[in-house]
Amino acid sequence: MEELIHELKSKIVDVLNLITIEPESIDAEAQLVGGALGLDSIDVLELVMMIEKDYGLKIDNKELGVKVFATLRTLAEYIHQNRSENCS
Amino acid sequence: MIRPRVFVTSLGIISPIGADVSQTVEALKNSASGLVPLTLFPSTVDSNPPAGEVSFPISGDISRTHSFALAAAREAMSKADGTPDAIVLGVTTGGMPASESLLKNNCTDPAKYSYHGIGTVAHYVADALGCHGPVLTVSTACSSSMVAIKLACGLLTSGKARRVLVGGADGLCRLTYYGFNSLQLVDPSGARPFDSERHGMSVGEGAAMLLLEASHVPPVGAMAEVLGVGLTCDAFHPAAPHPEGAGAFQAMKKAFADAGCTAKDIDYVNLHGTGTPDNDLVEAKAVRAIFDTNELPLLSSIKGASGHTLGAAGAINAAISVLCIENGLVPANTGCCNPDPALCLTPVSTPQRKPISFVLSNAFGFGGNNASIVLGAPAQTSSFRPCRDKSSAFSVLGSSCLSGAGNLAQTLAALRSASGLSGTVPTQALMEGLDEGTVRRLKRLPRLVLALAIAAGKTAETSAQPDAVFFGTGWGGLSETSDFLAQLFSSGERFASPTDFMNSVHNAPAGHAAIHLQAKGANITLTDGDYSFEQSLFSAGLIEHAAGEAFMVIGADEYHEKLTPLFDASAAAAAIPSDGGGGLLLQLSSESTGLRIAPLFISNDPVPELTLQHLLTVLGGPGAIDKKYGAVFAGIPSAYRFQGRQQLDLFVKAARCLCPIIDYRHVTGEFASASALAAVIALESVKQGALFAGLCREGAVGLHGQGVLLLGFGPCITAVEILG
Repeated sequence: MEELIHELKSKIVDVLNLITIEPESIDAEAQLVGGALGLDSIDVLELVMMIEKDYGLKIDNKELGVKVFATLRTLAEYIHQNRSENCS
Repeated sequence: MIRPRVFVTSLGIISPIGADVSQTVEALKNSASGLVPLTLFPSTVDSNPPAGEVSFPISGDISRTHSFALAAAREAMSKADGTPDAIVLGVTTGGMPASESLLKNNCTDPAKYSYHGIGTVAHYVADALGCHGPVLTVSTACSSSMVAIKLACGLLTSGKARRVLVGGADGLCRLTYYGFNSLQLVDPSGARPFDSERHGMSVGEGAAMLLLEASHVPPVGAMAEVLGVGLTCDAFHPAAPHPEGAGAFQAMKKAFADAGCTAKDIDYVNLHGTGTPDNDLVEAKAVRAIFDTNELPLLSSIKGASGHTLGAAGAINAAISVLCIENGLVPANTGCCNPDPALCLTPVSTPQRKPISFVLSNAFGFGGNNASIVLGAPAQTSSFRPCRDKSSAFSVLGSSCLSGAGNLAQTLAALRSASGLSGTVPTQALMEGLDEGTVRRLKRLPRLVLALAIAAGKTAETSAQPDAVFFGTGWGGLSETSDFLAQLFSSGERFASPTDFMNSVHNAPAGHAAIHLQAKGANITLTDGDYSFEQSLFSAGLIEHAAGEAFMVIGADEYHEKLTPLFDASAAAAAIPSDGGGGLLLQLSSESTGLRIAPLFISNDPVPELTLQHLLTVLGGPGAIDKKYGAVFAGIPSAYRFQGRQQLDLFVKAARCLCPIIDYRHVTGEFASASALAAVIALESVKQGALFAGLCREGAVGLHGQGVLLLGFGPCITAVEILG
C-alpha cells in the first residue's frame, strides 16, 4: 500500500503538472480536492483518466468519485482493492 | 436623435429537430426529439450516448459546420432582396469536423486544411451571398452566437450597417463529443434538462441565422424585435459556472436594462438548460433570483430534443424564441419527466399555444461566458432610447507586447538597435509576472495572454480595473488542440484530457485573463486568421462602455510546431517561426488629445478598388492622410503578398501618400496576430515622436506630432489609427 501511495504521489504531480510541489510532501491523509494542493473537479477528471489508463479502473460517477478521491489513501485503497491483475 | 430599433425580418435554421423553419415549428408543436444514435464515427464510449446529429449531405473539403451555416443562411436570405451589409457568426469548431479526420490520418498537406480556421465559416457564407462588408466571427464557446447578436446590434444601432445576417453554426466532431465525455458531462440516456435524474447534455450540431434590420418602425414582415442583449463573465472558473449563478443573473439583468423592460414583462423564458447537473442548478438559481420566485413565467429548454448545439446554441435559442412569438407557441422541455425538486422550477411539460409578447433566452459557455437576450413582438411604438455615440476612439491607459525579442522593453531595445523581432517568445519573458503554480494547467497561448494582460495593467498610470475583455486570436490554443487529439487518437479514441478540452476553446485564454483581472463584463473572443486582432478592436467599439470604465483588448497567437505550418500558410513560409502579440488597456476617449487608438475600417471586399475608395472616404480623402499620419504600418501576410502588395500600391497612389510605409511583418515575423504587436509598436513610436531605427531603412524617422495608420491587406482590408 505504501508503495502504491508513493507511486501515486509521483503520478499526481506529473499528470497535473504540480510543478511547485515535491511528491513526497503530499500528505496521504489530507483532503485531496480543494485542499492544500489546489486541486479542483477538472483535476479529478484528469486523475480519473490516469487511473483508468494505468490501473484499468473506471470511476464514472460522482458519488463514487467523492468517496475515492477523499484523500490519497482512500484513492490508493480503492485501486488496491479493485485493480485487475492484468494491469499494473 | 433616436436610436434605431433592431428587427428580425427573416430566419434560417437547421438542427437535429428540423432542416428548416417549418420543420422546426412542427417539431416544437409535437415535442419531437432529434436525439439519435451517433453515426458520424464509431463511439468508443461504453454507454454510446445518443447525440443531436443532423442528417445532411456534406460534400467536398468543407466541414459540416460550413454546410450547416450556408444552409441556414440561404434559408434566411430566401425571402430577402439583396445581400446583408455585414455578417456576424458565432462558431466554436469551424473546420474541425474535417480537420480532425485529416489529422487522424496524418495528412500533412496544408491545402487540405484551408477551411480549418473558425473564421472561414463566415467568409464561406459571405462569399456565397456576396456580402462585402464587415465579416466578424465570435468564438466564446457555447454562448458564441448570442454574443454575435450583441455585436450585430452594435453594428445596427451605431449606423455601421442597416442589415446584418447574424447566427451561429457548429458541426459534431470527435473533439466536442469526446471532450464533453471526458468532462463526464454527457447523459448516457440523452439530455434531460431540469430532471431530477439528469446526468448531462447530449452533444449536438446545427446552425441558425437571423436577418436583422435597423429601422425606427417595424419593417414589412418583421417577426420580432431584438430589445436587448446582456453579456457578462463569471471570472470564476474555466469550465464550471459560478455556484450561485452570479454571472448568469447579471447577464439577464443587463439584458433587461438594455431592453428597457423588467422581469414582469417576460411571458416565456427559453432556458440554456443543457441538462448538466451544474448548469441547470445554477441557471435555476439565477432565474429564481431575477424573477419573483412565486411568479415564474413559463420556462423550457429545447436541449432535451435538440441536444446542445454548442456555438450554434445561442442563435438557435434566439431563432426559436422568435418562432414562439410568431406562432404563439411555448415549446416543451423534452426529456424532463420529474422536475428536480432542488431546483424549485417546473419547466413546461407539453407544448402550449398562447400569445407570447416577450421572451428571455440564455446561452452560457466555458470561460464563464454568459449571454442573455430579450426578444419582443414587433410593436408599432417603443420607448425612446438615445442614439449611441458613433465614435469609437479609445484612450490608451496601458500597453504590453511579447515578441521574439521578449517583453515590451526588450522589444523596443531590439527595434532601437535595428534588430528584428522574429522568433518565438522566450520563456523568461513569457513567464515574467506569471506564477508557475497558478499557470500549471495553462499551455502556451493562455500564458501569452495572461502575461500580456498583467503587463498591460502594470504600465497603466492609474490602477484601472478592466470590466470587459476583447481577445483576437487567429488559431486559438493549438497546443491544447494538438495534445487533446494526439492522446485521443493514440489511445484508439479511449482517452482524452478534460483539461486540454476545456482549454482548447478559443476563448479559454480570455477567460483565464478575466479570472485574473476579475473582469466581469463582456468577454468576447474573435477569430479570423490574420484579422483577428482588428476584429477584437472593432468589436470593442460595438459594445457600450460606461464613462471612465476600462477594458482590455489583446491579440495573441502561439507557434505550434505541428499545427501552425498546416493551418497558417504565411507562418509556414517564414524562415523563422514566430509568435507573440500585444495587449492594450483602454477606455472610451472623450477628448481629442493623449495617446489613443481607433478602429476605423474593416471590410471583406474582394474588389480592392471599391474597398480602397471606401477606405479613403472614411479616412477623410487623400489630403487628410498625409496631414494626420507620419507613417503607414502595412500588414501583408506572406501568403497574400502579391495581392496585398497590389492593394497597398493602389492605396498609396490613390491616397497620394508620401509618408514612410512600414511593411511590418518583415520586422515582427509572420503570425496571425502580428498586427497586435505592430499596434503596440505604433503606439510607442507615436509616444516618442519617431519611428524606431529597426522599422525603416532611413533609420529613426521623426513623426512630427503625427500619428500612425495601421493597415491590414489581403482577403480583408482593415484600418486602425494611432494618434498621440
